[in-house]
Amino acid sequence: MNAVGQSVERADGRLKLAGQAEYTGDIRLPGMLYGAILHSQVGHARITSISTAAAEKAEGVVAILTAEDLSDLDPYYGHALRDRPIVALGKVRFTGEPVAVVAAESQAAADAAVAYIDVEYEELPVAACLDQALAEDAPLVHEQVARPGASHGLGDLPDAEGNICYSYSFRRGDVDGAFADAAVVVEGEYAFPAVYQYSMETHTTIAHWRGGELTLWSSCQHPFLVRQEIAGLFGLPLDLVQVIVPFLGGGFGSKSYTKMEPLTAAIARKAGRPVRILNSVNESMITTRRHNMKCRMRTAAAADGTLLGRSAEAWMDTGAYADNGPRVTATAGDAAPGPYRWRAVESAAHCVYTNTSPSGSYRAFGATHLQWIGESQLDEVARRLSMDRLEIRRRNLLRPGEEVRPGGKPLDADLIGDVEKAAAEVGWSDSSADVYPRAPEAVPRGRYRRGRGVSVGLLAAGAQPVSMATVRMGPDGSVTVLVGTTELGQGARTVMAQIAAGVLNSPVSKVVMRGTDTRYTPYDRSTGASRSTTVAGLAVQRAAQSVLDALLETATVKLETPPGLLRTAEGRIEDQGGRSITHGELVRARFGFDGGELIGHGRVQPEGGSGSYAEGPVFWEVCVAAVEAEVDVETGVITVLRTSTVADVGKAINPQLVARQDEGALLQGIGNALFEEMHFAPDGMVLNDTLLDYRIPAFEDMPASMTCTIVENGDGPGPFGAKGCGEGALAAVPAAIVNALADAGVPMNALPLTPERVWRRIQELKIS
Amino acid sequence: MKLPPFRLHRPGSVEEASRLLTDLGDDATAYCGGTELLLAMKLGLTTYEHLVDLKRVDGLRGVADGSGGLLRIGAATTHHEVETSAAVRARYPEMSMMISHVANVRVRSVGTLGGNLCFADPHSDPASFLMAVGATLECQRDGEVRRIPAAGFLTGLYETALAPGELLTAVELPARPDRTGLSHRRMKLTERPAVTVTAQITVRGNAVAEARLIVGSVGIMPLAADATALLGATAADFGPRSASCAGQAAADCAPLPDGEASPDYLRHLVTVYAREALEEAFAAAAA
Amino acid sequence: MTERVQATINGGHFEGEVAPQELLLDFLRDRLGLTGTKQSCEVQVCGACTVLVDGNPVSSCCFLAADIDSREVETIEGLVGSDFHRRAVEAFMRHAAVQCGFCTPGMLLTAKALADRGLDANRGEIAVAMNGNLCRCTGYHSILDSLTELLGDPA
Repeated sequence: MNAVGQSVERADGRLKLAGQAEYTGDIRLPGMLYGAILHSQVGHARITSISTAAAEKAEGVVAILTAEDLSDLDPYYGHALRDRPIVALGKVRFTGEPVAVVAAESQAAADAAVAYIDVEYEELPVAACLDQALAEDAPLVHEQVARPGASHGLGDLPDAEGNICYSYSFRRGDVDGAFADAAVVVEGEYAFPAVYQYSMETHTTIAHWRGGELTLWSSCQHPFLVRQEIAGLFGLPLDLVQVIVPFLGGGFGSKSYTKMEPLTAAIARKAGRPVRILNSVNESMITTRRHNMKCRMRTAAAADGTLLGRSAEAWMDTGAYADNGPRVTATAGDAAPGPYRWRAVESAAHCVYTNTSPSGSYRAFGATHLQWIGESQLDEVARRLSMDRLEIRRRNLLRPGEEVRPGGKPLDADLIGDVEKAAAEVGWSDSSADVYPRAPEAVPRGRYRRGRGVSVGLLAAGAQPVSMATVRMGPDGSVTVLVGTTELGQGARTVMAQIAAGVLNSPVSKVVMRGTDTRYTPYDRSTGASRSTTVAGLAVQRAAQSVLDALLETATVKLETPPGLLRTAEGRIEDQGGRSITHGELVRARFGFDGGELIGHGRVQPEGGSGSYAEGPVFWEVCVAAVEAEVDVETGVITVLRTSTVADVGKAINPQLVARQDEGALLQGIGNALFEEMHFAPDGMVLNDTLLDYRIPAFEDMPASMTCTIVENGDGPGPFGAKGCGEGALAAVPAAIVNALADAGVPMNALPLTPERVWRRIQELKIS
Repeated sequence: MKLPPFRLHRPGSVEEASRLLTDLGDDATAYCGGTELLLAMKLGLTTYEHLVDLKRVDGLRGVADGSGGLLRIGAATTHHEVETSAAVRARYPEMSMMISHVANVRVRSVGTLGGNLCFADPHSDPASFLMAVGATLECQRDGEVRRIPAAGFLTGLYETALAPGELLTAVELPARPDRTGLSHRRMKLTERPAVTVTAQITVRGNAVAEARLIVGSVGIMPLAADATALLGATAADFGPRSASCAGQAAADCAPLPDGEASPDYLRHLVTVYAREALEEAFAAAAA
Repeated sequence: MTERVQATINGGHFEGEVAPQELLLDFLRDRLGLTGTKQSCEVQVCGACTVLVDGNPVSSCCFLAADIDSREVETIEGLVGSDFHRRAVEAFMRHAAVQCGFCTPGMLLTAKALADRGLDANRGEIAVAMNGNLCRCTGYHSILDSLTELLGDPA
């Protein structure tokens, strides 16, 4: 297994460094038109009239789409709840909702024409935040309950209640009893912000209808799910919808499921020519975002630090349309207990409609929402019991094999080992600095105060484990891998090639993974939930094995040696005596001429059951970090000094790419923790919708020291014992920062930890 | 986000530029680096049918030593040119340092000092810095030249004292008195600064002889804070006097509503940074 | 009403008409098919649209195509093949400092401008100099490692 475990160079690196990688926005089709969207300027209203007459006469305009062009369709889509119309239908539910689309000969012409579309609204009362949406007489964002979508994996959806479109809850054990017996009870209310994923490439889609067949080029992470939704919307068989995915300029969940594809397909259908819709950043910000959340949590513990009970309830603001809200909600509900042993636990999470832009997936959803809360309460328990914060975790963390949730996969990681490694990297010690109660000389003082924090959590990873792969070997021994993982930047094309190369013992330079085209690439459910190496990679491993089996079969004949006495060497099969045949020779020998191809097929599907959310996850992604941070008590400014994350990956197919994932997630975690927050006006409009007012982490936000420890215990279900990574650091880093800040003397209940919020807390505590 | 259509004019002299601006009136504006103007037009915050490009006008660009130790910076000099000018680094290294933090390397390569001052965005560093050093702004129209003190140049939100058709042609920094310390502090929460404070202190003997404290980015215009309490201060009592001066500056400034920070917090930051700037300026002057 | 432009673009001569309001970014990508320069934030903050004009890094999303008249423009397509690019590729590949690749052309061009300006800096100073180029994927660590090799004191 030679390529596997090597930090092989990125297959797409040189292309990208030359500016030659093609993204959807780089594609020009002959006759292509440019789309511009008319966005609603009101937050909740009935559309009483739309007049496009003036706009249709504007220069360069070819077609304008409104709801009346969709009357031959059932125009609702949504993989969890089918609540989203292709374009606003009779009603707008958030400021920014697409009401009409113009297709014109140039982007400038399309943009200009939008201004001539006249829309009249009858405004309705607005429920623009959680409090308003949950109030007794709240206006309903959706008057009718939506039909369930096709691919949420959550089983039967419970009935909606007012603006709550989905709830997830469970209870185990005697919660009241646990709290009654407690020596320490910590409780609090918490707030988590709406955050924008900001992939640098914004959502871009091109749609082209030809003779009843539709081709979409799109910056989408899940082309097969998009194909399914589009086929359903337009009444087409799956094989007449082709989704091609070029390189993505980042995804992070913002391009998961279906986003701009239905609208683009609809306007292209009307225009009769290919149409491109390319979002500007402010448009992508109202296409998808992270759920903001309110949460109440209580933790009960015994005097010896044994955790007894946890009770949590969370409300996730899913905006006007559910998108992946239900799954985010379920994951949040499951993240509330953390990876600990409890006598009793109850958790409820609710997915709430509001008249704001829709929320959807963003890296480490659910875990990022809840981990900082549970972990800060655990640290507070330790403080009150005068216990070391690492020790209380050693005592209560689940061990490998223990049940995380009933009926689901048991824990498959050494969390205690992981958190100890993380803590050591930030200088955690038995010194008085880290053990409570602190010696007086160790209490932070002065203007700049330092603290350390650790955090441990789990993320249900893998989504639906359905993936196919094809590996093809040509008569020169070169290998093509076809698997549906999309290249968002994470390195899929490199890692999948490595896996195939590893199995076949081919030089990596002779193995290429091609981009996804649903017409030719076999089915893969999705790229996200850290599933690609584990699930798609396993399919690739099996497909490559199938090719290897064929090679061995031919080699057995040619070398007159039983397969058990043959072994792979680089690019060839050899026997014990040193005789060998190259891959190319074997393929040509098999077919008897200078042609032919070996095709291997690999399949991954749920091993028992249906692969639903409840039965999973495929594996538990580890979310572990430690942080040392400093706060300037005069201004509230926090500096993250040192961070360490742990990538517990079973087997690192490409160690360098694993570390890179943690580094990226870490900076996103710093943004989410310290300054990223979308602000909404009373009518739900986004106020800070450009990078002038929404701050993204920059070079200056890097901690002075960042370490990533890769842990390989071979305990993953993926190829060579691998399991995925890439999200854990984003959940763990904000939690560790909150804990470090509390250690420095400033406990916080709301993110982001803006300087003003921190400063106000310091005033409250009168500690400066 | 694209630009609306407009016409571009390219005068070769100040007179021609001035005439164009006068004739075209409100439909026209001066244009140079465009890093503020084009952005505002893309965002739909403003629009003009005519842009009068000053980049080909003679004599507007460059840094020169003037008579009597004056430092003269042409209005169309880019931030980067100001930052890296040997003359600026020699006479006002603090200005070079301040400029090096403005926006980013691209805006500094294209944007000009004059453009920054004329756009008069409240969230900005150069204007308040120039007020602290007592700079003068040279303006021209129809061959007439007048000099406006920096403190009088900004008159409101995105408003300057320039008359219709008048151009800012140069910024002049006075000869720096001996034993003068300068300190500029800034804090940003998003892309533009939320608070800037510039302090200039001149020491004679062992006491403060002159002091200026300018608070910028907080209100519509920079505030020339009352620094008279610092006159005569020595090392022994500078601390408490500067704290009191900083507190007064905070009380006197009128914070604009800001999505990211409340007026109370912005005022608090003013007390912190004003104090730091004053202390640093004094230490540099007294050294 | 158009503006006549004569410029050197990636070493080649260009002569033609542009609309005054045409942005350099759109001119490069749509008129000349040079799609290596990317559109992202559109407000001069992220640096994905960076090109060099007379060696200076500019945000082509907020720069008029008309303003390249009599000037030299360099995009990523022009940088390819140069010794700087070869060394940059070597460093970035060694550190796996490319993920989605969208920020990459801007990073390289900015680094080149800094190198040509004579930047000789340590890691911290390079981070400050590059602070105007955003990346959402890498967390900057690997990019900084690459640039420190590329721009730092060769000794």
